[in-house]
Amino acid sequence: MRCRAIVLLMGGLLLSACSTLEGPAYGVYDPYESSNRTLYDVTDTVDQAVMIPVAKGYDVVVPNALQQGVLNVFQNLRGVGSGINGFLQGKPKAGLTDLTRVVINSTFGVGGLFDLASRAGLQNQDEDFGQTLAVWGVKRSRYIYFPFLGPSTIRDLPSALFRGAVPGLILGRSYHWSVTVVDVVSSRANLLTATGVRDASAIDPYAFTRDAFYQRRQFQIYDGSPPLDAFFDDFEDLDGFDEPYEEQESAALDE
Amino acid sequence: MVDSIGVESQDRLSPGVSRVRVFLFIGLICLSVVWIGSARAESSPAAIAQGTVDQFHAALNAAIEIDKHRDRESALLPVVQGLFDVPRIAAISLGRTWRKLDGGQKDEFVQLLTQLIAATYAGRFSSASDLEFDVEEVAAVKQGHVVRTQLRRDEGKDVSLDYLLHDGRIFNVIADGVSDLSLRRADYNSIIKNEGYVQLTVYVRAKLTQARDLP
Repeated sequence: MRCRAIVLLMGGLLLSACSTLEGPAYGVYDPYESSNRTLYDVTDTVDQAVMIPVAKGYDVVVPNALQQGVLNVFQNLRGVGSGINGFLQGKPKAGLTDLTRVVINSTFGVGGLFDLASRAGLQNQDEDFGQTLAVWGVKRSRYIYFPFLGPSTIRDLPSALFRGAVPGLILGRSYHWSVTVVDVVSSRANLLTATGVRDASAIDPYAFTRDAFYQRRQFQIYDGSPPLDAFFDDFEDLDGFDEPYEEQESAALDE
Repeated sequence: MVDSIGVESQDRLSPGVSRVRVFLFIGLICLSVVWIGSARAESSPAAIAQGTVDQFHAALNAAIEIDKHRDRESALLPVVQGLFDVPRIAAISLGRTWRKLDGGQKDEFVQLLTQLIAATYAGRFSSASDLEFDVEEVAAVKQGHVVRTQLRRDEGKDVSLDYLLHDGRIFNVIADGVSDLSLRRADYNSIIKNEGYVQLTVYVRAKLTQARDLP
């Protein structure tokens, strides 16, 4: 059963690699915006009504140290996948770092509860197959808002689904659905600050989330150092912004 | 222990003394902004860029000590006016629409955006814990400079903050790879495309009011 799941996931990964070769090399690519917005609205309604209250309750009831411990456990479970993707991206040091982290945290860190590896200078490399595909040349992909999973692209979707399946695959027969519930709730609680910033800042939360997702993925793909000139390139068309303007009726602005 | 002592000592302050302290903070921040402005004439572009960011961090650390959101915003407003290139932020955020605005509309939008930026920072930097910023690198890039910094936090992971500057003024802040200016541009352009510029200004004013409603 588990083998079949892995084969299906691998098939999905290959399919995603083949299906993402179109689209512009840079910038947000959202040809399905209309349906994506609908899915965003549905997910947001459920999020506001169910997930946020549950996550806030979890945040109040569970002590910070234990919250961090739970996040550490799930991060540790995903460490093997991150390590393999480090190797697939031609970064043996990153791959070895992640695998060493799993060994240290699983043993001395009590099943990953304590992230002793980070204290020893071995930081989580946070790799996934979407990043691997990007390193292999699939730079951009069509944006999709997956219900209840959040922002993604076709390139990144299989690894996002795989992320959710990891606890089941690793724990095997000892897996219980409640593990996934804890995973989802603790992940949502960990995002409360980020979504709070979005709610405080965004006028169009859909566009805000989409842009933030693309930028965040770029940051991960470049291991925290995306080329800064790209930020200037994005804004070059506005360089003459202080040139004399042509007076127009303000009504024309709404055309 | 330290927190409880802090709270007790604040309770003992009379409203007049508290107000004086707020005005002192605002005065100090204004003085240091003026000082940075006069120092610019003598420094290299890289030193000016770092000085601007250092000054902004000092202002945030000072503002975080102020209890009320409105007072923090008042303290940060001259800082944003002095250290941020708000007209550039406005122009980039609005895209082609900026070119269609007349002078009065441009001034009005810049003023609105300045207030919104100050109110947003006043809301985000409100907890009473010390902030530690480490400047890691100052580099010349296309059209300006980047100052790479790390925000160290007692709880949670450190945050990478990169400041992009043009002519010594901040126009973009990138937090863990997410650009404040890109987000603003995506957000505003979506509204302009679907509802127009006039409606955007209504929404921005509503966001400003929402930010000011914070304690």
